[in-house]
Amino acid sequence: MIAPNTLPRLMHGASDRPLSLSQHESTFGSSPLSTSLLEELEASGLTGRGGAGFPTAQKARLIREQRGHSKFMVVNAMEGEPASHKDQALLSANPHLVLDGAEYLASIIGANNIAICVARDNPTVVNHLERALHERSRRSLRGPRLELHTPPWRYVAGEESALIHWLDDNESLPQYRPRRPHILRIGHSPALVDNAETCANVGLIGRYGAAWYRGLGTPENPGTTLVSVTGAVDRPTVIEVELGTTLRSILRTAGADPDPLAILLGGYGGTWLHAKHLDTPYNNAALKNLGVATGAGVIVVVPQGACGVVETQRVVRWMANESARQCGPCAFGLPSLAEDLTHIAHASRDADTAYHRLLERCGVIEGRGACRHPDGVIRFIRTAIEAFAADFDTHRRGAACAGSRATRHYASVPSLEREDELVWE
Amino acid sequence: MIALTTPYLWYTTRATGIITLILFTMVVTLGTLVANRIGGTFVGRFEINELHRSLTMVAMTFLAIHILTTVLDSYVATGFISVVIPMTSQYKRVAVGIGAISFDLILAVWTSSLLKLRIPNTTWRFIHWFSWLGFATALVHGFMTGTDSRKGIGLVVVAVCAATVFVAALWRFFGRPTRAAGRTALSPLATSSGAPGAPSSPSAARPSRPAARPARPLVQSPPTPPSAPGVNPARPASPGQRPFPTSPNPKSKKGRS
Amino acid sequence: MGVRRRSGTFLLQVNPILCDGFGHCAELAPELVTTDEWGYPIIVNEPVPLANAAAYESARYAERGCPRQALHIQRFSEKKPR
Repeated sequence: MIAPNTLPRLMHGASDRPLSLSQHESTFGSSPLSTSLLEELEASGLTGRGGAGFPTAQKARLIREQRGHSKFMVVNAMEGEPASHKDQALLSANPHLVLDGAEYLASIIGANNIAICVARDNPTVVNHLERALHERSRRSLRGPRLELHTPPWRYVAGEESALIHWLDDNESLPQYRPRRPHILRIGHSPALVDNAETCANVGLIGRYGAAWYRGLGTPENPGTTLVSVTGAVDRPTVIEVELGTTLRSILRTAGADPDPLAILLGGYGGTWLHAKHLDTPYNNAALKNLGVATGAGVIVVVPQGACGVVETQRVVRWMANESARQCGPCAFGLPSLAEDLTHIAHASRDADTAYHRLLERCGVIEGRGACRHPDGVIRFIRTAIEAFAADFDTHRRGAACAGSRATRHYASVPSLEREDELVWE
Repeated sequence: MIALTTPYLWYTTRATGIITLILFTMVVTLGTLVANRIGGTFVGRFEINELHRSLTMVAMTFLAIHILTTVLDSYVATGFISVVIPMTSQYKRVAVGIGAISFDLILAVWTSSLLKLRIPNTTWRFIHWFSWLGFATALVHGFMTGTDSRKGIGLVVVAVCAATVFVAALWRFFGRPTRAAGRTALSPLATSSGAPGAPSSPSAARPSRPAARPARPLVQSPPTPPSAPGVNPARPASPGQRPFPTSPNPKSKKGRS
Repeated sequence: MGVRRRSGTFLLQVNPILCDGFGHCAELAPELVTTDEWGYPIIVNEPVPLANAAAYESARYAERGCPRQALHIQRFSEKKPR
């Protein structure tokens, strides 16, 4: 039993090796709380940790109400965001907590199949999960069937509908969902998709209850969350924080630059925040006033002296290539945005025209894709323009700032194996 | 069955055959114009589409007359059955048989287009591809039955029709405007398990992976920094090593063209 | 085709995955659809009253004329504004 009101919770007992099933049970205790799991979940106020922040209990209730005897519970550990490492860290510390949560959710919705999806490009984590599943299968034969699936890693492969489409049809393509709420289905069976960290939180709530869970955090955003801090830090870190801790204190604990220029919250489809707001608490209710959100628990720290335009341009260029290329506005629009940003980054003569064209195109592309990928990129660009206003101004006037000539970049972008993957060039 | 003995049926068959060939040449060319997104400035794209559809109706009418007069004519022995089932005609079995194949294909394309709003778009597109084969077989049929097609103006007509459609086909397949999805780089890696463009798997849950392999030695991560009160730094994760999949870009199931 | 409705609104919606940028909709329903610089449709986002018969007819032509059948007319009754 973990004492209430203390950290760590999710990362309790974490060490170099993942906890085995017996270690996990001796650390956390064994059986779930009671049969009123859904009520506990609702009382806890847990929201999704995959980026959307949707109330977990509401999602589970919706799937529970669907008819169908062979439902699926899907654990999304794809971690499509390159700047996010929290799901990897969680699965490398304690996969059994995630699996417990998945089993509790499966029992809530009445599913007899659980699919755990993790990117095949990360063999360490795949191995941890295989071992954890093996331990569980040796332990008991009752309960839902646990299966490991390993789609190839792409940015959109972690999107809900793309993941379901992978399970259904072997292609990670996001689907068009005009009417919300939309019930995702694998074949005809309704499926509940939840992020791995969300499942881990469910694993805790199922054991210790909603009151315990609410012991930390704020009333609107209770509990704890994992944050991946990259950029201007000693090394990329994953830390567990109580929701409501200030951003400044999170950066201090992670060993990040204490006086950055700006930070990126949420992911590459997320929002930039100028450093003057660093005393804001890290929870969605407080961040909403600034127009930002916690998203997938990502913080990228960009120090003074870096060039915000170049950082933005590199990420947008990569994100454009990550488009599934199903929808015209995204497939053609995002590369055009990247091109405009390249003009601005090079501070060429037409940097100012490119800037205005960029803003115009953002308005044209927004909301016209099947998924929210282009919207995320547009949000990323717009908040970058606000947070790096000085840098953008300099470049627009045709003078590249000092930081743009630097070789060190803070928003790390996976390199393209083949440049010809950039279809528009 | 009425078998009429007037020679005018035979003349009508030949005439309507040639007319049908010319009309279908125009139809196929218009279809290529639609697919290559011609229009928008002087003539609307939807107008070209509507012309394509209307002209097909005219062509089908002439085709119907062509078939009817062939069957009713007693000068050559072809029954109704050999209109749809190839190689059952007494007269010029192969040539008429190829005509029957052509008619079957054209009938399928036409019917699917009449029902276009009621069938899935992918089904309609799949059937529509066969219009090329339908035209080719019609051309061969026209040349082989060729009372008129071997010499003089008839030969010129057949040659021009063939050339037109050949050029249209080249343009259709090689001159397409770039569209959004020439490929989806998100298909499976085409590893040994997944063939490119493999048909969709059954909707039931996939078969389970084999039992977990014995534990390999784990990668040792650097020791955790000392914890500050209140917040626990977990052990640092390794910097993201994300090799891109070396996807040879198998074509998506949606079959963009 | 049944009773002509005069109350309520409709919205022309496009499935962006099926859409291939043919542009027939912009020609058939110019009051509802314009094209962006890449040829893809930008459709009016607010529901249009069904009483606007011309717009509704244009929308029907566009829905029927789309080569990929990517368009769909979503009707809303007066009670449920969306």
